[in-house]
Amino acid sequence: MNWDGLDISILGPAFLAGLLVLSTHVPLGREVLRRGIIFLDLAVAQIAGLGVIIAYSFGWEAGGWQIQAIAMSAALLGAGLLYWCERRWAEVQEALIGCVFVLAASGGILALSANPHGGEALKELLAGQILWVSYGQLIPVSVVSAVVLALWFALRNKRHPLLFYGLFAVAVTSSVQLVGVYLVFASLIIPALAIRKLNTHDLWYGFIIGAVGYGAGLCLSALLDWPSGATIVWALAVSGILGSVLLSKR
Amino acid sequence: MQNLKWLIGACIFCIALPSQAALQIFACEPEWASLSETLGGDKVKVYSATTAKQDVHRIQARPSLIAKMRRADLVVCTGAELETGWLPLLLQRASNRKVQPGQPGYFMAAEQVERLDIPHVVDRSMGDVHAGGNPHVHLDPHRVAEIARHLAERLAQIDSANAGFYQSRLADFEQHWQAAIESWQQKSEALKGLPVVVHHKDWRYLLDWLGMKEIATLEPKPGLPPNASHLARLKKQMEEQRAAMILRSAYQDNRPSEWLADKADIPAVELPYTVGGSDAANDLFGLFDDTLARMLKAIKQ
Repeated sequence: MNWDGLDISILGPAFLAGLLVLSTHVPLGREVLRRGIIFLDLAVAQIAGLGVIIAYSFGWEAGGWQIQAIAMSAALLGAGLLYWCERRWAEVQEALIGCVFVLAASGGILALSANPHGGEALKELLAGQILWVSYGQLIPVSVVSAVVLALWFALRNKRHPLLFYGLFAVAVTSSVQLVGVYLVFASLIIPALAIRKLNTHDLWYGFIIGAVGYGAGLCLSALLDWPSGATIVWALAVSGILGSVLLSKR
Repeated sequence: MQNLKWLIGACIFCIALPSQAALQIFACEPEWASLSETLGGDKVKVYSATTAKQDVHRIQARPSLIAKMRRADLVVCTGAELETGWLPLLLQRASNRKVQPGQPGYFMAAEQVERLDIPHVVDRSMGDVHAGGNPHVHLDPHRVAEIARHLAERLAQIDSANAGFYQSRLADFEQHWQAAIESWQQKSEALKGLPVVVHHKDWRYLLDWLGMKEIATLEPKPGLPPNASHLARLKKQMEEQRAAMILRSAYQDNRPSEWLADKADIPAVELPYTVGGSDAANDLFGLFDDTLARMLKAIKQ
């Protein structure tokens, strides 16, 4: 047991980052499950990463907001491509998403063979570490999340699939840099899976399940001295199982 | 209520006591943890952020790292951009004023000595090249001696009450270390001038000290994993210019070096690289003893 790490100033920013990620990912996750395209987030994040690597290999020494702009544009382009695929070949959409994911990931390796510094940019982009998050980083992400949520709920009666793909690309690209791909996937799928039998108004249960997972995971990683991201993924899974058992007994 | 107050008071006292008794040192790598312990003895309490089996270029964030950094009186790391992927983030998150860059509590070992391979121009296409030169300085015992002098000075500066203690520990260390260097140099005569292949450029200072020649690296560029065409090129190169051995550290993938060892019939040697990298390398003396023993054994085969 290690009580040193159990400190609000150490775990606080990470927990807030988790809540921000959950705020957009729980509702989007339900839509992802409904459409049956659960690997969409991996594909979109990987395309955002590929965009950054390509920008690097053209010698564009971008930093800060330029990297963000490139990553967002690449993710939106990728989302547009996947929307087009869904319209043409809806029955094999999940398989196509998988193919786009491996193509983007291995395309990244090919582009990197010439320039390993793009690799650092990619690592920063895809392997965000939740514990390094500072309060300052949370401000732009909360703005992005607020915009995504506002658009998603304001247009709930006339949602075009393209809106979903676009908002999804923006939400995933901003959250993956904070918490990394594993946590993005877990935040998207696990709460949505636990509340899949509830109706749309009961989204709150998904937020609670997610928040419990993040909170418990962070405390466990402090007490047991385990890497935080991976611990939270497991805590989310346990919280999701407990949550769905409790909800089914209601 | 009164009892509770006493209990809380006692708890605070117990928690506060050890941090007053000893200087808290946060070391990024085991070699600096070991050196800090050697010089500080029971006046310091040392925590090592990484182990010998980890690649220090990248580590996973754990809450305890921030907690230890927050409590540290002195941070002892390699510097020269080795920990650039995580140390600045960790320092920022811990916001401990005593150990920020420029403060006495911030000690970067590699920046105390002359470094090799400082590039004139840093070109992105060269790979994972450090603008500050090669940071793996702890494998040259002369540089370790110089770093030990600077570190003892720093310890005395931060904890002036024990300045004399650190100076006498340093004198003791220097005496043993100089004797050890002489014996290592005698033993390693047989290694002088031998050509070697290395996995990554982390043996630069060891080879420089021993007078050995690095003729190729398994990584096509620093930081890029070995690939098939590069290994095939190396195999051809070995036919013309045979290396005496292939070196890798405990944390590196053993497959590329074993592949080349098998194809070119050259011994592949796993070296401890740092304290804790093998059973025998339990301190800095053991590290060099074991490193030389393993290399000498390889050329006898």
